[in-house]
Amino acid sequence: MDELELLKKDWQKQKDVFPQLSYNEIYQMILKKSSSIVRWIFIISVLEFILWTSLDIIFRLKGVHTKIEEMDMEIFSLISTIMYYGIFMYFIIRFYLNYKKIKVTDSAKVLMKNIINTRKTVRQYIFVNISLFVVMFIATMIYIFTFTDGLVNDTSATQPPLWVVLVSTVIVILIFVGLIALFYRLIYGILTRRLKMNYKELEKLEI
Amino acid sequence: MNKELEHSFVSNLEQNQNIVHKICRIYTSDPDSHNDLFQEITIQLWKAYPKFRGDSKFSTWMYRVALNTAITLYRKSKRSIKTTDLDTYGFKVKAEEYDDKVEQQLRLMYEAVKQLNDIEKALVFLYLEDRPYYEIADTMGISEVNARVKMNRVKTKLKKILNP
Repeated sequence: MDELELLKKDWQKQKDVFPQLSYNEIYQMILKKSSSIVRWIFIISVLEFILWTSLDIIFRLKGVHTKIEEMDMEIFSLISTIMYYGIFMYFIIRFYLNYKKIKVTDSAKVLMKNIINTRKTVRQYIFVNISLFVVMFIATMIYIFTFTDGLVNDTSATQPPLWVVLVSTVIVILIFVGLIALFYRLIYGILTRRLKMNYKELEKLEI
Repeated sequence: MNKELEHSFVSNLEQNQNIVHKICRIYTSDPDSHNDLFQEITIQLWKAYPKFRGDSKFSTWMYRVALNTAITLYRKSKRSIKTTDLDTYGFKVKAEEYDDKVEQQLRLMYEAVKQLNDIEKALVFLYLEDRPYYEIADTMGISEVNARVKMNRVKTKLKKILNP
Protein backbone atom coordinates (compact mmCIF):
# COMPACT_ATOMS: atom_id res chain seq x y z
CA MET A 1 0.00 0.00 0.00
CA ASP A 2 1.68 3.18 -1.21
CA GLU A 3 0.02 5.55 1.22
CA LEU A 4 1.03 3.51 4.28
CA GLU A 5 4.64 3.37 3.06
CA LEU A 6 4.53 7.11 2.55
CA LEU A 7 3.17 7.52 6.05
CA LYS A 8 5.89 5.23 7.41
CA LYS A 9 8.61 7.40 5.92
CA ASP A 10 7.05 10.54 7.30
CA TRP A 11 6.42 8.86 10.65
CA GLN A 12 10.04 7.96 11.14
CA LYS A 13 11.15 11.47 10.24
CA GLN A 14 9.07 13.16 12.93
CA LYS A 15 11.82 13.79 15.45
CA ASP A 16 11.52 17.49 16.03
CA VAL A 17 7.77 17.84 15.79
CA PHE A 18 7.12 17.13 19.45
CA PRO A 19 7.89 19.68 22.15
CA GLN A 20 10.65 17.92 24.10
CA LEU A 21 10.26 17.52 27.84
CA SER A 22 13.23 18.33 30.02
CA TYR A 23 14.82 16.00 32.58
CA ASN A 24 13.14 17.97 35.34
CA GLU A 25 9.69 17.85 33.79
CA ILE A 26 9.89 14.06 33.46
CA TYR A 27 11.19 13.81 37.02
CA GLN A 28 8.14 15.75 38.27
CA MET A 29 5.89 13.31 36.43
CA ILE A 30 7.17 10.23 38.25
CA LEU A 31 6.24 11.81 41.57
CA LYS A 32 2.56 11.97 40.63
CA LYS A 33 -0.06 9.32 41.30
CA SER A 34 -1.48 7.07 38.63
CA SER A 35 -5.11 7.43 37.60
CA SER A 36 -5.21 4.16 35.70
CA ILE A 37 -8.23 1.89 35.46
CA VAL A 38 -6.44 -0.73 37.60
CA ARG A 39 -6.12 1.77 40.43
CA TRP A 40 -9.81 2.60 40.19
CA ILE A 41 -10.84 -1.01 40.06
CA PHE A 42 -8.72 -1.69 43.13
CA ILE A 43 -10.21 1.20 45.11
CA ILE A 44 -13.80 0.36 44.15
CA SER A 45 -13.31 -3.35 44.85
CA VAL A 46 -11.90 -2.71 48.31
CA LEU A 47 -14.85 -0.40 49.02
CA GLU A 48 -17.24 -3.13 47.90
CA PHE A 49 -15.64 -5.69 50.20
CA ILE A 50 -15.92 -3.21 53.08
CA LEU A 51 -19.53 -2.32 52.25
CA TRP A 52 -20.79 -5.88 51.96
CA THR A 53 -18.97 -7.03 55.07
CA SER A 54 -20.16 -4.09 57.11
CA LEU A 55 -23.75 -4.89 56.16
CA ASP A 56 -23.43 -8.02 58.27
CA ILE A 57 -22.05 -5.97 61.18
CA ILE A 58 -24.88 -3.44 60.84
CA PHE A 59 -27.43 -6.26 61.03
CA ARG A 60 -25.73 -7.48 64.19
CA LEU A 61 -25.77 -4.03 65.79
CA LYS A 62 -29.40 -3.58 64.80
CA GLY A 63 -30.16 -6.71 66.73
CA VAL A 64 -31.42 -8.89 63.89
CA HIS A 65 -29.18 -11.70 65.11
CA THR A 66 -30.35 -11.35 68.72
CA LYS A 67 -33.89 -11.76 67.52
CA ILE A 68 -32.86 -14.90 65.67
CA GLU A 69 -31.19 -16.20 68.84
CA GLU A 70 -34.33 -15.50 70.80
CA MET A 71 -36.16 -17.67 68.34
CA ASP A 72 -34.03 -20.66 69.24
CA MET A 73 -31.92 -20.50 66.10
CA GLU A 74 -28.38 -20.17 67.49
CA ILE A 75 -26.97 -23.09 65.51
CA PHE A 76 -28.48 -21.79 62.34
CA SER A 77 -26.96 -18.38 63.03
CA LEU A 78 -23.54 -19.83 63.90
CA ILE A 79 -23.36 -21.89 60.70
CA SER A 80 -24.31 -18.90 58.59
CA THR A 81 -21.69 -16.71 60.28
CA ILE A 82 -18.90 -19.24 59.72
CA MET A 83 -20.00 -19.69 56.13
CA TYR A 84 -20.15 -15.96 55.60
CA TYR A 85 -16.62 -15.26 56.81
CA GLY A 86 -15.23 -18.34 55.07
CA ILE A 87 -16.60 -17.06 51.79
CA PHE A 88 -15.29 -13.58 52.52
CA MET A 89 -11.76 -14.89 53.19
CA TYR A 90 -11.81 -17.03 50.06
CA PHE A 91 -12.78 -14.12 47.82
CA ILE A 92 -10.47 -11.57 49.38
CA ILE A 93 -7.49 -13.93 48.94
CA ARG A 94 -8.47 -14.69 45.35
CA PHE A 95 -8.92 -10.99 44.66
CA TYR A 96 -5.48 -10.20 46.07
CA LEU A 97 -3.78 -12.98 44.08
CA ASN A 98 -5.48 -11.90 40.85
CA TYR A 99 -4.65 -8.26 41.49
CA LYS A 100 -0.99 -9.16 42.03
CA LYS A 101 -0.96 -10.84 38.63
CA ILE A 102 -1.71 -7.58 36.80
CA LYS A 103 1.55 -6.52 35.20
CA VAL A 104 1.91 -3.74 32.67
CA THR A 105 4.87 -5.60 31.15
CA ASP A 106 2.70 -8.53 30.04
CA SER A 107 1.35 -8.72 26.52
CA ALA A 108 -1.77 -6.63 25.87
CA LYS A 109 -3.97 -9.71 25.86
CA VAL A 110 -2.65 -11.21 29.10
CA LEU A 111 -2.88 -7.84 30.83
CA MET A 112 -6.51 -7.41 29.80
CA LYS A 113 -7.35 -10.98 30.81
CA ASN A 114 -5.84 -10.47 34.27
CA ILE A 115 -7.75 -7.24 34.85
CA ILE A 116 -11.00 -8.87 33.75
CA ASN A 117 -10.31 -11.82 36.09
CA THR A 118 -9.73 -9.52 39.04
CA ARG A 119 -13.02 -7.78 38.35
CA LYS A 120 -14.74 -11.12 37.96
CA THR A 121 -13.67 -12.14 41.47
CA VAL A 122 -15.39 -9.14 43.01
CA ARG A 123 -18.46 -9.65 40.85
CA GLN A 124 -18.68 -13.27 41.97
CA TYR A 125 -18.32 -12.18 45.60
CA ILE A 126 -21.25 -9.84 45.25
CA PHE A 127 -23.29 -12.43 43.39
CA VAL A 128 -22.64 -15.01 46.13
CA ASN A 129 -23.54 -12.41 48.74
CA ILE A 130 -26.85 -11.57 47.16
CA SER A 131 -27.72 -15.23 46.61
CA LEU A 132 -26.75 -16.02 50.17
CA PHE A 133 -28.90 -13.18 51.41
CA VAL A 134 -31.89 -14.45 49.43
CA VAL A 135 -31.33 -18.09 50.43
CA MET A 136 -30.88 -17.20 54.10
CA PHE A 137 -33.98 -15.10 54.00
CA ILE A 138 -36.07 -17.88 52.52
CA ALA A 139 -34.53 -20.44 54.89
CA THR A 140 -35.26 -18.25 57.89
CA MET A 141 -38.85 -17.78 56.77
CA ILE A 142 -39.34 -21.52 56.32
CA TYR A 143 -37.68 -22.21 59.66
CA ILE A 144 -39.83 -19.69 61.46
CA PHE A 145 -43.04 -21.01 59.96
CA THR A 146 -42.17 -24.65 60.48
CA PHE A 147 -40.36 -24.92 63.79
CA THR A 148 -41.10 -21.86 65.88
CA ASP A 149 -44.20 -20.11 66.92
CA GLY A 150 -42.60 -16.67 66.85
CA LEU A 151 -44.85 -15.42 64.09
CA VAL A 152 -47.89 -17.49 64.86
CA ASN A 153 -48.22 -15.80 68.23
CA ASP A 154 -48.15 -12.42 66.57
CA THR A 155 -51.02 -13.12 64.23
CA SER A 156 -54.06 -11.22 65.21
CA ALA A 157 -57.03 -9.92 63.36
CA THR A 158 -55.39 -6.56 62.68
CA GLN A 159 -52.46 -8.14 60.82
CA PRO A 160 -52.58 -8.65 57.04
CA PRO A 161 -52.91 -12.25 55.84
CA LEU A 162 -49.76 -14.33 55.53
CA TRP A 163 -49.71 -14.46 51.75
CA VAL A 164 -49.72 -10.66 51.55
CA VAL A 165 -46.67 -10.54 53.82
CA LEU A 166 -44.90 -13.19 51.70
CA VAL A 167 -45.70 -11.65 48.33
CA SER A 168 -44.70 -8.16 49.40
CA THR A 169 -41.42 -9.50 50.86
CA VAL A 170 -40.61 -11.24 47.59
CA ILE A 171 -41.35 -8.04 45.64
CA VAL A 172 -39.11 -6.00 47.95
CA ILE A 173 -36.30 -8.54 47.50
CA LEU A 174 -36.69 -8.49 43.72
CA ILE A 175 -36.56 -4.70 43.62
CA PHE A 176 -33.53 -4.71 45.90
CA VAL A 177 -31.65 -7.22 43.75
CA GLY A 178 -32.69 -5.43 40.57
CA LEU A 179 -31.41 -2.09 41.82
CA ILE A 180 -28.06 -3.57 42.80
CA ALA A 181 -27.73 -5.22 39.39
CA LEU A 182 -28.53 -1.95 37.64
CA PHE A 183 -26.04 -0.06 39.79
CA TYR A 184 -23.29 -2.51 38.88
CA ARG A 185 -24.09 -2.45 35.21
CA LEU A 186 -23.78 1.33 35.23
CA ILE A 187 -20.58 1.61 37.26
CA TYR A 188 -18.65 -1.21 35.65
CA GLY A 189 -20.23 -0.71 32.28
CA ILE A 190 -18.60 2.70 32.15
CA LEU A 191 -15.34 1.55 33.68
CA THR A 192 -14.71 -1.63 31.72
CA ARG A 193 -16.58 -1.19 28.45
CA ARG A 194 -13.50 -0.26 26.44
CA LEU A 195 -11.41 -2.94 28.11
CA LYS A 196 -13.91 -5.65 27.23
CA MET A 197 -14.26 -4.34 23.69
CA ASN A 198 -10.51 -4.44 23.13
CA TYR A 199 -10.20 -7.87 24.68
CA LYS A 200 -12.91 -9.21 22.39
CA GLU A 201 -11.14 -7.66 19.42
CA LEU A 202 -7.93 -9.54 20.32
CA GLU A 203 -9.83 -12.78 20.96
CA LYS A 204 -11.54 -12.50 17.61
CA LEU A 205 -8.13 -12.70 15.96
CA GLU A 206 -7.45 -16.13 17.39
CA ILE A 207 -10.51 -17.77 15.86
CA MET B 1 13.29 5.46 46.12
CA ASN B 2 16.78 4.85 44.96
CA LYS B 3 18.24 8.06 43.51
CA GLU B 4 20.41 6.17 41.04
CA LEU B 5 17.43 4.30 39.70
CA GLU B 6 15.49 7.55 39.35
CA HIS B 7 18.34 9.14 37.47
CA SER B 8 18.85 6.27 35.05
CA PHE B 9 15.10 6.06 34.40
CA VAL B 10 14.56 9.76 33.78
CA SER B 11 17.62 9.99 31.50
CA ASN B 12 16.51 6.93 29.54
CA LEU B 13 13.00 8.28 29.12
CA GLU B 14 14.26 11.74 28.23
CA GLN B 15 16.25 10.24 25.37
CA ASN B 16 13.42 7.99 24.19
CA GLN B 17 10.49 10.31 24.83
CA ASN B 18 9.54 10.47 21.16
CA ILE B 19 8.19 6.92 21.36
CA VAL B 20 5.72 8.04 24.02
CA HIS B 21 4.87 11.22 22.11
CA LYS B 22 4.10 9.19 19.00
CA ILE B 23 1.77 6.88 20.91
CA CYS B 24 0.03 9.90 22.40
CA ARG B 25 -0.29 11.33 18.92
CA ILE B 26 -2.10 8.23 17.66
CA TYR B 27 -4.36 7.83 20.69
CA THR B 28 -5.29 11.41 21.59
CA SER B 29 -6.73 14.37 19.77
CA ASP B 30 -5.83 17.43 21.82
CA PRO B 31 -2.83 18.71 23.77
CA ASP B 32 -4.44 18.19 27.19
CA SER B 33 -5.16 14.53 26.57
CA HIS B 34 -1.73 14.15 24.99
CA ASN B 35 -0.07 15.42 28.18
CA ASP B 36 -2.40 13.40 30.34
CA LEU B 37 -1.61 10.16 28.54
CA PHE B 38 2.10 11.03 28.53
CA GLN B 39 1.92 11.48 32.29
CA GLU B 40 0.17 8.14 32.86
CA ILE B 41 2.59 6.29 30.58
CA THR B 42 5.52 7.83 32.47
CA ILE B 43 4.08 6.66 35.80
CA GLN B 44 3.49 3.15 34.50
CA LEU B 45 6.99 2.97 33.00
CA TRP B 46 8.46 4.16 36.29
CA LYS B 47 6.45 1.65 38.32
CA ALA B 48 7.65 -1.19 36.09
CA TYR B 49 11.24 0.08 35.82
CA PRO B 50 12.75 -1.71 38.85
CA LYS B 51 11.92 -4.99 37.10
CA PHE B 52 13.46 -3.90 33.82
CA ARG B 53 16.52 -6.11 33.61
CA GLY B 54 18.03 -4.80 30.46
CA ASP B 55 17.75 -8.09 28.59
CA SER B 56 15.82 -6.20 25.95
CA LYS B 57 16.44 -2.69 24.73
CA PHE B 58 14.89 0.07 26.80
CA SER B 59 12.94 1.22 23.74
CA THR B 60 11.52 -2.26 23.04
CA TRP B 61 10.40 -2.54 26.65
CA MET B 62 8.87 0.93 26.39
CA TYR B 63 6.71 0.00 23.40
CA ARG B 64 4.99 -2.66 25.44
CA VAL B 65 4.37 -0.70 28.64
CA ALA B 66 3.37 2.48 26.79
CA LEU B 67 0.96 0.69 24.44
CA ASN B 68 -0.57 -1.27 27.32
CA THR B 69 -1.17 1.99 29.12
CA ALA B 70 -2.73 3.64 26.08
CA ILE B 71 -4.97 0.68 25.18
CA THR B 72 -5.90 -0.70 28.58
CA LEU B 73 -4.97 1.37 31.59
CA TYR B 74 -5.61 4.94 30.50
CA ARG B 75 -9.06 6.01 31.50
CA LYS B 76 -9.88 9.52 30.40
CA SER B 77 -13.05 9.81 28.36
CA LYS B 78 -11.89 12.97 26.61
CA ARG B 79 -9.84 10.78 24.36
CA SER B 80 -12.86 9.16 22.80
CA ILE B 81 -14.02 12.43 21.30
CA LYS B 82 -13.51 12.03 17.63
CA THR B 83 -12.10 14.94 15.77
CA THR B 84 -11.30 15.33 12.15
CA ASP B 85 -8.99 18.24 12.76
CA LEU B 86 -6.07 16.08 13.70
CA ASP B 87 -3.02 18.17 13.34
CA THR B 88 -4.37 21.11 15.22
CA TYR B 89 -2.07 20.85 18.15
CA GLY B 90 1.36 21.67 16.98
CA PHE B 91 2.34 18.51 15.17
CA LYS B 92 1.81 19.85 11.72
CA VAL B 93 3.55 18.16 8.88
CA LYS B 94 6.29 20.49 7.83
CA ALA B 95 4.91 22.05 4.70
CA GLU B 96 8.17 23.06 3.15
CA GLU B 97 9.34 19.45 3.00
CA TYR B 98 6.53 18.23 0.81
CA ASP B 99 4.67 19.36 -2.19
CA ASP B 100 0.99 19.98 -1.67
CA LYS B 101 -0.18 16.67 -3.02
CA VAL B 102 2.00 14.60 -0.72
CA GLU B 103 1.07 16.73 2.22
CA GLN B 104 -2.60 16.32 1.50
CA GLN B 105 -2.16 12.56 1.16
CA LEU B 106 -0.36 12.36 4.49
CA ARG B 107 -2.99 14.40 6.24
CA LEU B 108 -5.70 12.06 4.97
CA MET B 109 -3.65 9.07 6.07
CA TYR B 110 -3.35 10.41 9.62
CA GLU B 111 -7.08 11.04 9.67
CA ALA B 112 -7.74 7.49 8.49
CA VAL B 113 -5.50 6.01 11.19
CA LYS B 114 -7.41 7.97 13.82
CA GLN B 115 -10.60 6.21 12.76
CA LEU B 116 -9.23 2.75 13.57
CA ASN B 117 -10.02 1.01 16.85
CA ASP B 118 -7.52 0.79 19.73
CA ILE B 119 -6.07 -2.57 18.71
CA GLU B 120 -5.73 -1.63 15.05
CA LYS B 121 -4.02 1.61 16.04
CA ALA B 122 -1.51 -0.37 18.10
CA LEU B 123 -0.72 -2.61 15.11
CA VAL B 124 -0.33 0.37 12.80
CA PHE B 125 1.85 2.12 15.34
CA LEU B 126 4.22 -0.85 15.65
CA TYR B 127 4.21 -1.25 11.88
CA LEU B 128 5.09 2.41 11.36
CA GLU B 129 7.86 2.02 13.92
CA ASP B 130 9.19 -0.79 11.73
CA ARG B 131 8.99 -3.42 14.46
CA PRO B 132 9.35 -7.03 13.29
CA TYR B 133 6.16 -9.12 13.20
CA TYR B 134 7.32 -11.49 15.93
CA GLU B 135 7.69 -8.50 18.24
CA ILE B 136 4.31 -7.07 17.24
CA ALA B 137 2.74 -10.48 17.94
CA ASP B 138 4.49 -10.74 21.29
CA THR B 139 3.48 -7.25 22.38
CA MET B 140 -0.17 -7.84 21.54
CA GLY B 141 -0.29 -11.43 22.82
CA ILE B 142 -1.36 -12.98 19.51
CA SER B 143 0.39 -15.34 17.11
CA GLU B 144 2.68 -13.99 14.40
CA VAL B 145 0.43 -15.36 11.67
CA ASN B 146 -2.56 -13.57 13.16
CA ALA B 147 -0.57 -10.37 13.49
CA ARG B 148 0.20 -10.48 9.76
CA VAL B 149 -3.38 -11.35 8.84
CA LYS B 150 -4.73 -8.55 11.00
CA MET B 151 -2.22 -6.06 9.62
CA ASN B 152 -3.33 -6.89 6.09
CA ARG B 153 -6.94 -6.37 7.12
CA VAL B 154 -6.04 -3.03 8.65
CA LYS B 155 -4.35 -2.00 5.40
CA THR B 156 -7.53 -2.89 3.50
CA LYS B 157 -9.61 -0.99 6.03
CA LEU B 158 -7.40 2.09 5.63
CA LYS B 159 -7.72 1.85 1.89
CA LYS B 160 -11.49 1.77 2.23
CA ILE B 161 -11.52 4.81 4.50
CA LEU B 162 -9.33 6.69 2.04
CA ASN B 163 -11.29 5.66 -1.07
CA PRO B 164 -14.88 5.21 0.04
